[in-house]
Amino acid sequence: MTVKLVEISDVTKNYRRDEFSIKVLAGVSMDVTEGEFVALMGPSGSGKSTLLNLLAGIDRPTSGQIRVAGQELGALNDSQLAGWRHRNVGFVFQFYHLIPVLTAFENLELPLTLTKLSRAQRRKKVDLALEVVGLADRKDHYPRQLSGGQEQRVAIARAIVTDPRLVLADEPTGDLDAASAQEILDLLAQLNEEFGKTIVMVTHDPRAAERAGRELHLDKGRLNSAADAA
Amino acid sequence: MFKLIRRNLLRNKRRTILTVLSIAIALILLSFLDLLLAAMSGVNSANANRLVVRHAISLTFSMPAAYEQRLAALEHVEGITIMNWFQGRYIDDRPENFFPRFGTDPDTFPDVFPELALSPGEIDAWRAERTAFIAGRALAEEKGWDIGDVITIEGDIYPVDVELTLRGIFTHTTDEAAERVLYFDWQYVEEALGNPGQINSFYVLLDSPDNMNETIAKAEAMFENSPDQVRAETEAAFFLSFIEMMGNVQFLFSAIGLAVIASIFFITVNTMAMASRERTTEVAVLRTLGFTRSRVLAIVLFESLAVGVLGAAIGLAVMPVVTGAISSVLATQGITFSELRLGERTSALVMGIGVFLGLAAGLVPALQAMNMKIVDGLRRVA
Ligand SMILES: Nc1ncnc2c1ncn2[C@@H]1O[C@H](COP(=O)(O)OP(=O)(O)OP(=O)(O)O)[C@@H](O)[C@H]1O
Ligand SMILES: [Mg+2]
Repeated sequence: MTVKLVEISDVTKNYRRDEFSIKVLAGVSMDVTEGEFVALMGPSGSGKSTLLNLLAGIDRPTSGQIRVAGQELGALNDSQLAGWRHRNVGFVFQFYHLIPVLTAFENLELPLTLTKLSRAQRRKKVDLALEVVGLADRKDHYPRQLSGGQEQRVAIARAIVTDPRLVLADEPTGDLDAASAQEILDLLAQLNEEFGKTIVMVTHDPRAAERAGRELHLDKGRLNSAADAA
Repeated sequence: MFKLIRRNLLRNKRRTILTVLSIAIALILLSFLDLLLAAMSGVNSANANRLVVRHAISLTFSMPAAYEQRLAALEHVEGITIMNWFQGRYIDDRPENFFPRFGTDPDTFPDVFPELALSPGEIDAWRAERTAFIAGRALAEEKGWDIGDVITIEGDIYPVDVELTLRGIFTHTTDEAAERVLYFDWQYVEEALGNPGQINSFYVLLDSPDNMNETIAKAEAMFENSPDQVRAETEAAFFLSFIEMMGNVQFLFSAIGLAVIASIFFITVNTMAMASRERTTEVAVLRTLGFTRSRVLAIVLFESLAVGVLGAAIGLAVMPVVTGAISSVLATQGITFSELRLGERTSALVMGIGVFLGLAAGLVPALQAMNMKIVDGLRRVA
């Protein structure tokens, strides 16, 4: 059974810079099946981040349609889209972007404060997510008290604490040493296999891409899909 | 969410503390100016029906007591009473023991000052006894005086110590400052001095404010050829003549006040702008996590509001200490004000300005945070 979680059809994206309009995505179409782990590769400036941002609903395409979990994103207004993001998408950034004034626990709790969950329910979810990333003992640490790899694990925990179906990661290992990168990739693979999360990961690193079930290559705003052994 | 706001405030402790303190100091200065103005003018308790007659040269000169009869004979005059500034020392020289003490005429005073409410029994008791005095409720409460209590005031301008018994406590419906005054029978001092018959001022009640200008002119004309010429003016103008002595203080104070607000406004705006510029990426992250535009707006505004309110609260808390200190310094220079206390009006003004500063300073950063495109915010650092 293959449920299409993500359907992108003929999406273009132009950025205006002064008088010029740069065509970043020139007609991209692709699907992602529920439960897939997809690696998105391509040279710098090819539009990988742009595509991922469109998928996350934090930016809007110039034309074309994006459907995630049956929802056409173009049909949502800004605040609906915020709510949709909150429920359906977990985003992992290259530079972690934890809130520096909050502890690991509080960083994870932050998205949950947007829900109606009680304190106790929130605590339970946060503890569980920290458990999954193996940092239960670091929950009272502030980001600056953690290593880069640990920070990224906390960031991944924050991405999954709301239990979204789709996890998007933009070069999650780009700022890490090899060993930490390996841990992060193991973690993402575990999320995919054990918890059935659908993952789209942008990466420059071919070895990272190997961990994914499928590799997509973006070049000059177009997709040259190169299916790997799944 | 409040945790986030609180932590953000504490993020750059020195900057937050400095901003809060500068708001507090500015507001202290501002409310002090306001208090000083109110204390000096006393305009709130002026009665539009009353005029004050005093010596043409200055307030420190006196007029013959016989003027009373002649003024009373003027057309439109409904009542007249005398008012002599006794000053003196009550207990000691500390500013909290300073309050206005006037010698007047209990027989005519109640008619000329109908807004100071006394019961008929109290009026009779005051008139019956040469050493009786009346005090405003606010003053009596502050000093813990009850009817029948005896107090002593040492004379300084006049070489007479008076021992007075409280026989009445009057109230004023709107003006607390008017309740912080003591009145006693001037005849007491007059007799002790051997009846010199000198009066500082006459308070004249007219039948209507419409006849004010006419009566002022007539009163001044009446004594034009006497050795002691008089100046007559409305009660409000009389109060304000204190201020005129120091030039246009009111204008000066307002200008200073505005300048203070403006500069503190720019300081706060700058702080909030700096704080939010540092946090552009964080705002983008919050929005990515699903925080709506309006929620982000609220977070930034709340933080800024907290700075303003905190500043105002500290200002209000410290204010009594500062006024106390400044009044004692002024007192050593011979300047005394009875009414240097933080009233509801001034507290509300200070709080209002704190709230305004907080909201106004946070508005631009908050709108920026709200309208920012998430992708632009995320690209800042990378
Ligand atoms: N918000 C924006 N405003 C203007 N131009 C943008 C914006 N975001 C991206 N671009 C431009 O679009 C192009 C693609 O950018 P994008 O970040 O998607 O590339 P990328 O494939 O992720 O590159 P990298 O591997 O370096 O991260 C670049 O030329 C970039 O300058
Ligand atoms: Mg990128």
